[in-house]
Amino acid sequence: MRYAYFPGCTLDASAKDYDMSFRWVCRSVGIDLEEVKDWVCCGAFSARARSRLLAVAMPVGNLARAEQGGFNQMIVPCSVGLARMRVAQHALETDRSLRDRVDEVLEERYNGTVRVVHPLDVLLDEVGVETLRARVNQRLRGLKVVCYYGCSLTRPPEVAGFDDTEYPMSMDTVLRSAGLETVDWAYKTECCGAHMTVSRPDIVLHLAHRILRAAKGAGADVIAVCCPFCQANLDMRQGQIAEAYGERFDIPVLYFTQLLGVTYGAYSRELGLGRSMVSPQRALENYGVL
Amino acid sequence: MRIEVTRECQTLAKEIESLTGENVNLCYQCRRCTLGCPTACDMALKPHEMMRALQFGLEEEVFHSGMIWMCVSCEACSVRCPQNIDILRVIDCLRELVMSERVIAYNPHPEIPSMHRLFLTLVNRYGRVYETALAFIMNLKMVEPFKDIDLVWPMITKGRLTGPPRKSGGLKGFRQMLSTTRKIEGES
Repeated sequence: MRYAYFPGCTLDASAKDYDMSFRWVCRSVGIDLEEVKDWVCCGAFSARARSRLLAVAMPVGNLARAEQGGFNQMIVPCSVGLARMRVAQHALETDRSLRDRVDEVLEERYNGTVRVVHPLDVLLDEVGVETLRARVNQRLRGLKVVCYYGCSLTRPPEVAGFDDTEYPMSMDTVLRSAGLETVDWAYKTECCGAHMTVSRPDIVLHLAHRILRAAKGAGADVIAVCCPFCQANLDMRQGQIAEAYGERFDIPVLYFTQLLGVTYGAYSRELGLGRSMVSPQRALENYGVL
Repeated sequence: MRIEVTRECQTLAKEIESLTGENVNLCYQCRRCTLGCPTACDMALKPHEMMRALQFGLEEEVFHSGMIWMCVSCEACSVRCPQNIDILRVIDCLRELVMSERVIAYNPHPEIPSMHRLFLTLVNRYGRVYETALAFIMNLKMVEPFKDIDLVWPMITKGRLTGPPRKSGGLKGFRQMLSTTRKIEGES
């Protein structure tokens, strides 16, 4: 399976652990990745506030790169990047005049032949649960995980095509295939505050606190995420949350690819486990790894 | 919300419809948008109130509340609206009107559009986001130089405070695209 890989700005910087563990898992299950040549920013939350044309042209430029590279599938692990790509793709298909303007500013034609996929889609639909199960050589018995999907992954439904908009299950299914116990909770797709972490951290503290409280209430030892914004907001600010709300959590927030890597027998440094602010050492050590 | 109608008031609603195809008059105030909105509690005007205000052309109320900047773009409102109004698209449209200076209005939360501008400036410079610079310059802009200072050392030791992004080979074409976009938008 050969895929164009769009890491996006965060996976190339503060979320290097997602990039490392994602690449490791792909190697382990036979997914071939090739980084999109000369990729640029997808526009994230800022291009859309500036102009619709920009918000569509920025992702489409990257899709065109992948298309020129001869790929028909592009894999995007970052939920925000993924959503921007899919929304842009959809906008081109439905808005003729926008399409012409996008061609004009990009000075090239993107033919729309690249399918944008998330690692969870690929692991479930292409690799398959059976293959995933066969890769496991390290059992994490008794470790309770809540899957936090975040807001960008499943929205908007007509574009995302995810299993369920409000109550997705794909990450649960993937982690269960690795023998992990995922517990139910009501905050799967709540928003963590995303980019507000730069301009209004007070809002992020408030939202992250609610999510952490719900995870604790569900009895979680670990929160599994698939978005660099979710990871940063839930992990980095736990100290400040303890100060603001008088409640300590110390719940490690790991990418689902890191958890898969652990059960597939990767070394801690190959997965960047040492990069989390709340160390997963204690949670995972009890279960005989690290 | 108390509404006084002093003039004919569908101008902005019509403009929104022509720009986005979304008709704000479809809203019947069920409040699902507000109930699902993660930042509604920090908004001076809640999403359903914004929709009502737009129906009555109360532009000042909408812009002066700053609610369009408190929105984190999580899209819960659009997904859950029983009338299928893409509320986030309406908000994006209002943000676009302000960012392109077609509307000039007081904003109680200037730090947020300022962050978006800085983000795009950095992207224009590097082709990718320079996270550390974004955080540091925002602190200076907000005159809170020591905001999140407690995170700096742990982030350094964990290797999460990074230098400038790798340079993209596509930077030249990308800058060209940004300037053409600005030109086209200036004309329209």
